[in-house]
Amino acid sequence: MDVTSQRTGGALIVSVEGRVDGANARKFQKAVESVIEDDDGAVILDMEHLSYISSAGLRSILLIAKGLQKRNSQFAVCSLQDAIGEVFRIVGFDKIVTIHSSQGEAVSAMGS
Amino acid sequence: MQPDAEDLENVFAAVEAFAERAEWPMKLVFQAKLILEEMALNVINYGGVEGDEPIGITLKTEDDTVTIEIRDAGQPFDPVKDAPTPDLSLELEERPIGGLGLYLVRTMVDEMHYRRHEGYNHITLITRRLA
Repeated sequence: MDVTSQRTGGALIVSVEGRVDGANARKFQKAVESVIEDDDGAVILDMEHLSYISSAGLRSILLIAKGLQKRNSQFAVCSLQDAIGEVFRIVGFDKIVTIHSSQGEAVSAMGS
Repeated sequence: MQPDAEDLENVFAAVEAFAERAEWPMKLVFQAKLILEEMALNVINYGGVEGDEPIGITLKTEDDTVTIEIRDAGQPFDPVKDAPTPDLSLELEERPIGGLGLYLVRTMVDEMHYRRHEGYNHITLITRRLA
């Protein structure tokens, strides 16, 4: 699992690559939270290169989303692979987290 | 599988090797990994297994049916009856942070059977979605 980040169009884009599972979900969450600065008003988690996620990873995403909501920052995910999009739908995350089909769409929807 | 989340990597590698021989579609490979992780981590995190007794995992594939068997020495736990159903209608701030793993498993299998026998939990999961 690798986490990289960049800032584009007023949004922080955090890209995750590989697998987020029960062995590394906490590490993933810390890696994402550590790149978020206090003045990041919009955070996009790009999952294009995420090949696997389990409930441990969903828990981390939920905690990241809750943390951002508390400080009134926007949060969205983008570019979910099919199997991961299905997992999001099964657990109803599509109702509580904004999902965009591409990074560009997410940036234009959130950036200012 | 050793009762340690770090051993998931070896389980996933074994599933991939098995899936390649059986020519499973990608989606089924993903689901098999997810099912095994959720069941195994439930045992590791909540099962109270003493020592380092491994979790037994068996995969079988026949025609359009995949059978996953898991055997563990944890506390008696019947995932068919004892697993809570999460409230998926809650808003973000109200969502509890756990309880999704076994729910995901239940949505991905056609049958789930539980048996307690001689100090072991035996869970059999069957899916018939080998398209």
